[in-house]
Amino acid sequence: MPHLELLATLEGHQDRVWQASWHPTKTLLATCSGDKTVRLWAPATPTDFTKWVCVDTLKGAHKRTIRSVAWSPSGNEIATASFDATTGIWERDPQIADWECMATLEGHENEIKSVAWSSSGALLATCSRDKSVWIWEVESDNDFECLSVLQEHSQDVKMVAWHPKEEILASASYDDTIKIWKEDEDDWYCADTLHGHASTVWSLDFNAAGDKIVSASDDKTLKIWKQDGGKDGSWTCETTLEGYHDRCIYSVSWSKIHGLMASASGDNTIQIISKDGEAGYRSVAVMQDAHGVHDINGVAWFPTQTHQDWLASVGDDGLVRIWRMVE
Amino acid sequence: MSQTLINANPTVYNLTKASRRETADEYDDNIEDPIDAQEVFDLIRSISDPEHPLTLEQLNVTQHQHIHVDDNRNSVQVEFTPTIPHCSMATLIGLCIRVRLLRSLPERFKVDIRVRQGTHQSETAVNKQLNDKERVAAALENGHLLEVVNQCLATANLRGHEVASH
Repeated sequence: MPHLELLATLEGHQDRVWQASWHPTKTLLATCSGDKTVRLWAPATPTDFTKWVCVDTLKGAHKRTIRSVAWSPSGNEIATASFDATTGIWERDPQIADWECMATLEGHENEIKSVAWSSSGALLATCSRDKSVWIWEVESDNDFECLSVLQEHSQDVKMVAWHPKEEILASASYDDTIKIWKEDEDDWYCADTLHGHASTVWSLDFNAAGDKIVSASDDKTLKIWKQDGGKDGSWTCETTLEGYHDRCIYSVSWSKIHGLMASASGDNTIQIISKDGEAGYRSVAVMQDAHGVHDINGVAWFPTQTHQDWLASVGDDGLVRIWRMVE
Repeated sequence: MSQTLINANPTVYNLTKASRRETADEYDDNIEDPIDAQEVFDLIRSISDPEHPLTLEQLNVTQHQHIHVDDNRNSVQVEFTPTIPHCSMATLIGLCIRVRLLRSLPERFKVDIRVRQGTHQSETAVNKQLNDKERVAAALENGHLLEVVNQCLATANLRGHEVASH
């Protein structure tokens, strides 16, 4: 039976950790926290993966909690979303050998909950408690132009995630729905609204092909949605995964490499879920008390083949953990 | 304090007997006393109402029998009763209860706070907000709100032992 083995515990954040984001290619992990910083972690040596060190701390630009952190596809920039209603864009300045906040995107009325780069790196999406989703165009010289303000959610928007290849965006909300956003001649519109969850949708992730979405909710279920009838088809719920978590599910990550899903919950457990047959899914491994008695807020699979069996998790205990999936 | 009160003339209830029934086990240091509903009630009964110089116990907002604790399963469920069904202070009162328990209970406890069924017209909305930890975290970063919460919690340590002398 497969199981999760703890590779390393990363200590340093001074408050709860909200999200973990892997560099697109390197063994480098970014985590963000209520302590208003982002920390970057790397193995102490290139061969020993049991000891990790904090190699950089991004600080000073946000006045409140950093809720979300995302690497650009090139791995050269980091975007941070904060409760202070701003999004920070960071670059590493080789001269001072440190990360600097090069741009601050303003416009949201209150807390920003999530930030995500499109697969090409040309677009950035943010969402907020102000119920809106914003789409930004990345221009040269750290210039960002707001292309669209999407205001169709009726409540707090918790997360945005881009399709793995196309310029299609999904957003998850406190209004219990997921919305799919597309562009038609420079005009962004809501292409579909996915109803089914009975409470807040906290997290979502596409599969590698981009024709399925997994969503995680306060209703303690995960749902798999699939797109019918090709590119322009609507999305329907393929299956609901119940009984795996006893409390709110805060995060879900769908590996683009091996197809396993990981979910993290307020019940202190991480579940690893695998496809089983035509439309079935089942839990193949569970890690109880992955962060002791604390809620787990985020999980993220390593994005490339190199360490595809690695899973990062972050919790209310202020810790970051790296797990290895062992067969 | 606002000029027009939400509930200008609330019913004031008598305090229940403050002390718990003591057993020999509680005096034995070798026996761990599990956290029970009485303990949780003692933690929150003397929180002040946001608009009246009265405790939540005096307004019958919190009651011992509406608290359920499962120490083994690290679970605490608190139901409270707003003084009137359209009370706009319900979320704030619930937030005060949450912060009090956040600061007082061991970290292992998972706390659910709800208004008692049928006692508030926006019951679902209030419950959802109170149990969304991200929104609670954001609310507590608001200096003004935190100050109001701390004011309500200034009397919390009385644990029902003394009637507020206002």
